[in-house]
Amino acid sequence: MKKRILCALLAVVLCACALAGCSREPVESTTFAMDTVMNFTLYGGWDREKTKETRDWMTSRLAYCDEMFSATDENSDIAQVNRAAGQPVELKNPTAELLSQALELCRVTDGALDITAYPAVKAWGFTQEEHRVPSEEELAELAARIDYSAVKLDGNTITLPEGVEIDLGAVAKGFAGDWLAQQVRNIYPGEDSALLDLGQSTIVAVGSKPGGKPWRIGVVDPAQPESYFAVVELVDMAMGTSGGYQRYFEQDGITYWHILDPDTAAPARSGLASVTVVAPSALTCDGLSTALFVMGLEEGAAFWRNHPELEFDVIFVTEDGEIYRTAGLEGRFSLAEGYTDREVTLLE
Amino acid sequence: MKGKVVLFLLLAAVAASAALLLLRGGEEDTPVARITRDGVLLEEIDLNKVDQPYTLTFEDESGSNTISVEKGRIRVSAADCPDRVCVNQGWIADGTVPIVCLPHRLMVEIKGGGGDLDGGAG
Repeated sequence: MKKRILCALLAVVLCACALAGCSREPVESTTFAMDTVMNFTLYGGWDREKTKETRDWMTSRLAYCDEMFSATDENSDIAQVNRAAGQPVELKNPTAELLSQALELCRVTDGALDITAYPAVKAWGFTQEEHRVPSEEELAELAARIDYSAVKLDGNTITLPEGVEIDLGAVAKGFAGDWLAQQVRNIYPGEDSALLDLGQSTIVAVGSKPGGKPWRIGVVDPAQPESYFAVVELVDMAMGTSGGYQRYFEQDGITYWHILDPDTAAPARSGLASVTVVAPSALTCDGLSTALFVMGLEEGAAFWRNHPELEFDVIFVTEDGEIYRTAGLEGRFSLAEGYTDREVTLLE
Repeated sequence: MKGKVVLFLLLAAVAASAALLLLRGGEEDTPVARITRDGVLLEEIDLNKVDQPYTLTFEDESGSNTISVEKGRIRVSAADCPDRVCVNQGWIADGTVPIVCLPHRLMVEIKGGGGDLDGGAG
């Protein structure tokens, strides 16, 4: 009898120890890459060394992404393409894959996303943070050079007409997020749990939190970027936000932000202050958040209704502070503390 | 006799686990600001133990950032970087979103202090 009691006690103690000592501590890392700072939280299996190896692999992958995709790094694939003056250029496999997916998003959004806006981005000074406001004539000339359909991608070979230049800033982090998330899933099939924050504008949740709860992500209030107006719960899902508050400059009392309308080569003024897209693919989130910001609320909501195959949901915030969300976020969206009295319009 | 020894050991183990649990809980309740450059720790500040507001300045060849510290919160109050995104972000009081000065590769983040969010998007 005594032995039984002892055994029971021992079991209780072992459980307590497991709870106290072995709650899985994540491997965390911070990396500067792709013009931003990225934070990764990896709950690997029980093998911390393997998890650290994964983290190091991810960091090296990001450096590789910079080498391939950065328009400002003169040795990158993209810089070579932009310099090629009409000549074909052979791309590395990941660059070709990213370009192919990005061009598909340009097509499906009918050019609301356009990866050939680089000359305009440069003219506004957003690459070197030396800002200026181009003249009307200059903008008209720049807008005429923005045309994704002029990009000829055949396998790994790309040809751009002279004067057209590519910038993958709206999609590269999403592509990298999908790539890294896939690696985490491959290493820990079935027990994967990680949060990849690729500079806030792109977030990928791999699996759920340890214990099965969803990752809870705050969404920045564009009117007060230091607070969150909403919380979105993610399980195996990515999230991308585009907002005018992220990068901008002011001149003569006017705010000019970095999201350009491909039709005008000027900052997109669609009445929206931010767009957050939730979808399984981070690249979709990244590219669509930009495209929907350019489209505006009405056109953006219609696009959501017409493209169920893209499996995405959206939160729109207008410049007047109105909040709209699509029906698919039911049960995953809530207003944050301090915002619970705000009205949310449901899009169906 | 043997039974008593085992029982004592078991009780000790239970007490130790309980203490560990309590200690771990305690750690998470204190917001600690960590200021790093290129991932290297420059300063660690327990924000609950700040009585008087004060400022700190960090400089290297890339430039300078002045950081203001108050009880429970921290911000970059001045910087000579071109975009001043770090200054415009204002105060942070929880670990959801760090302040980052990209040109100077300086980061201010808060660990612990509760908060029920795992990350921030925007």
